[in-house]
Amino acid sequence: MIEYILMLGAVSTAILALIPKDLMKAVIIGTGIEGLALAFLFQKLLAPDVALTQAILCSTIIPGLFAITVYKTQREEG
Amino acid sequence: MDLQTASMLSAGSLILIGMVAIFFVDDIIKKIMGATFITDGVNLFLIALGYREGGVVPILPEKAGNLLCSYPKISTSCIESFAEHASYPLPYALVLTNIVIGAATTAVLLGLVIMLYKKHRTLSTSKLLGVRK
Repeated sequence: MIEYILMLGAVSTAILALIPKDLMKAVIIGTGIEGLALAFLFQKLLAPDVALTQAILCSTIIPGLFAITVYKTQREEG
Repeated sequence: MDLQTASMLSAGSLILIGMVAIFFVDDIIKKIMGATFITDGVNLFLIALGYREGGVVPILPEKAGNLLCSYPKISTSCIESFAEHASYPLPYALVLTNIVIGAATTAVLLGLVIMLYKKHRTLSTSKLLGVRK
């Protein structure tokens, strides 16, 4: 039951991340929450080592790199 | 529908959303986020291929539910029942490499974006390419 909620959450945050004009919100929602939902989903699909790698890389390091980029360039779109 | 079909459909929709983000969105950081979505969709599809209904994680423990295998002496019937129930372990090796490759590519692309901003002072691609809107 919870797997279908996670799948729906991953796809809907992917759509919702492209809308805001504030770049920091778009980046943290789009990569952080979606990477975490996918890490749970990988464990439900019987792959625990891939879930660990996805949780470390795509939920912590990649949003950090995106946030540094937004900080060094500009915060608003355009 | 079962878990494998639903995972493959959501992986396909993630790839579609990533491609729409690369083609039609104006900002350059959102285009790089679309490339991350495509990588995540492909990885989810590969993991969903190796799933088996009512299976176990492919790690041979001492006692795993019904499969009682004490570790120094492993009988052949225990190995056979484990091989019938475990999920397919080949796609995991491919996906592990792919995740690390995707993260390194994203890091290089973000470095290029910072250098572009220092020279041109804008982040929208229509102004960078000189297209009048």
